[in-house]
Amino acid sequence: PNPPVPHPRYKPPATETNPALEDPTPDYMNLLGMVFSMCGLMLKLKWCAWIAVYCSFISFANSRSSEDTKQMMSSFMLSISAVVMSYLQNPQPMSPPW
Amino acid sequence: MKNLYIFIVVLFIPWSFSLAKYDEFEDGDDIMEYDDNDFAEFEDVSEDTVTESPQRIITTEDDEEEATVELEGQDENQEDFDDADTQEGDAESEPYDDEEFEGYEEKPDASHSKNKDPITIVNVPAHLQNSWESYYMEILMVTGLLAYIMNYIIGKNKNNRLAHAWFNTHRELLESNFALVGDDGTNKEATSTGKLNQENEHIYNLWCSGRVCCEGMLIQLKFLKRQDLLNVLARMMRPASDQVQIKVTMNDEDMDTYVFAVGTRKALVRLQKEMQDLSEFCSDKPKSGAKYGLPDSLAILSEMGEVTEGMMDAKMIHFLTHYADKIDSVQFSDQFSGPKLMQEEGQLTKLPETKKTLLFTFNVPGSGNTSPKDMESLLPLMSMVIYSIDKAKKFRLNREGKQKADKNRARVEENFLKLTHVQRQEAAQSRREEKKRAEKERIMNEEDPEKQRRLEEAALRREQKKLEKKQMKMKQIKVKAM
Repeated sequence: PNPPVPHPRYKPPATETNPALEDPTPDYMNLLGMVFSMCGLMLKLKWCAWIAVYCSFISFANSRSSEDTKQMMSSFMLSISAVVMSYLQNPQPMSPPW
Repeated sequence: MKNLYIFIVVLFIPWSFSLAKYDEFEDGDDIMEYDDNDFAEFEDVSEDTVTESPQRIITTEDDEEEATVELEGQDENQEDFDDADTQEGDAESEPYDDEEFEGYEEKPDASHSKNKDPITIVNVPAHLQNSWESYYMEILMVTGLLAYIMNYIIGKNKNNRLAHAWFNTHRELLESNFALVGDDGTNKEATSTGKLNQENEHIYNLWCSGRVCCEGMLIQLKFLKRQDLLNVLARMMRPASDQVQIKVTMNDEDMDTYVFAVGTRKALVRLQKEMQDLSEFCSDKPKSGAKYGLPDSLAILSEMGEVTEGMMDAKMIHFLTHYADKIDSVQFSDQFSGPKLMQEEGQLTKLPETKKTLLFTFNVPGSGNTSPKDMESLLPLMSMVIYSIDKAKKFRLNREGKQKADKNRARVEENFLKLTHVQRQEAAQSRREEKKRAEKERIMNEEDPEKQRRLEEAALRREQKKLEKKQMKMKQIKVKAM
C-alpha cells in the first residue's frame, strides 16, 4: 500500500450527464401521468385519473435528486385534481371494467 | 350529509309533481273530509296514490288517468262543499247521487289492480345507497397507493443502510490509499467530505483522489430500485443484484496502450457490443480463461495475447478465482470512451475523446436480498482494485507489443476517417461556400463603387489562381501516372 500523495486532485467529473445512460423512467412516467390526468379531466373517466395518480407517484420514486421538484409537484397536483374533479362531477363509484 | 341531501331532493321532485295534480286540495284535510262511506274506496285509493307516488319514482299512465278520474269525481263533490278554484272547471254541479258513482267503484279498483302489476321498483343509484361497500374500487386504489408509499419508505431506508454499511467497511482502506475521500463538487477547495454522495434513492457516488498514478476513482453503488414497487414486482420475475461500479481514471503517463477485459461470458459479450473500445480493438470472441487457471465462468477479451500474459500474474489469478462469483466485469483500456454513441451518420466528424481507464463492475452477493453484512465480503475486491492500479502502472508492453498496439490504433483511426470522409468533404464544401457568400455580401454592401470594383477584381483573381493550381495538380498527377 502506497502512502498517499499530499496533493489531491480535483472534483468529481460532473457525474457523467450522458443522456444515453440515464434512466428515462421518471420522464416517461411524468408525461404519462399528465396525459392520463388530461384524459380523466376531459373525458370524465375516473380510472384515467387514478392511473395518473399512480404514474406521478412512480415518477417521484424514480426521480433523480438533481431533478426539479416543481415539475414533480405540478404533475402530482394535476393528477390529484383530475381525481377530485371526476368525483365532483359524478359521485358514483367507479365501475370495474369487467 | 351530501348523500342525504341528494336523497331528499330526489324525493321532493316527484312528490311536488304529484302535489301539482292535487292542487285542488288546498289542505290534506280536504281529502280526509270525504269520509262518507261512498268515498271510502276513493279515500283509501287517493291516500295510497298520494303516499305511494313519492316512493315510486315512476308513475304509470294508468295512475295518471286514475288520478284525473278521481279529480273529476271529487271536483264535483267539492263544489258542493268548497268554493276552491279548480284548474279543470268542468265540474258538474249535480247533487251527489249514489247511483252515479257506482261505476266508479269498479273503475278505480280495476285500474288500481292493473296498476299494481306494472309498478317497477327502481334501483336506487349506488351513490345514494349511503354505504361504503359500493365504493370498493376506490378503496382498492387508495390501499394500493398506501402500499406503494410504504414500499417506498422501506426500500429507501434499506438502500440507505446498505450504502452506509458498504462505506463503513471500506472507509479505512480508502482513507489509507487516497488523500481525498468523498467530494460532491460544490466546495471550492478540495476537502474530504468523508460521506457518500446520494444521487438517487438507489444510486450513491463516491469520488476519491490523491493517489500516485491515478487521477481519481469514482465509485458508484448502483442498488436495485427497492423504493419502486413496480420494480420490486418485476424483480420477482427476473432476479437481479446490486452492483458496485468502480471507474479509475489513470494519468496519461502511468498506463501503457492496451485494451483488455475479464469477466463473465454474458457480461463480456454485452460489453463487446456496447463499448466503443472493446468493439474496435478486441475483435475476437471472449476466450475461456481456463488456460490461466481461471474458473469456467470467466472469459477474457484482449487486444493481443501479450497483454493477457502480462495481466494474468499469480496475484490477479488468485483474486479472480476466489471472488469469481462477485465479479461481473473488469476492463482496462487506454482508449476508453464509454459506450457507443448512437449518432446520426452526418454528425460523427470527430473521434470521441478517450481516457485511460480501469473499469470494475462487481455484483453484490445475495442477488437482491442483501443485508448490510454482505458488504464486508466486497472488501477484498477493493484491494484487488488497488492492486490493479499499481499493476497497470508497472506493466509495460515490449517493443513488439508496442508496435502492434500502435498499428491497431492507426488502423482504427484510418477506418474512422474513411467513414467520415464524405461527411468531412461536405463540411469543408459548405464552409467554402459560406466564405464565398460572405465575401459577396461584403462586396455588395460596399457603398463606394470604386471599392466594390476593386474587391470584385480581387475575388476574381483569387478564383483564377485556384483554378490554375488545380490544373497544375491534375497535370502532375497525369505525369506521375504515366
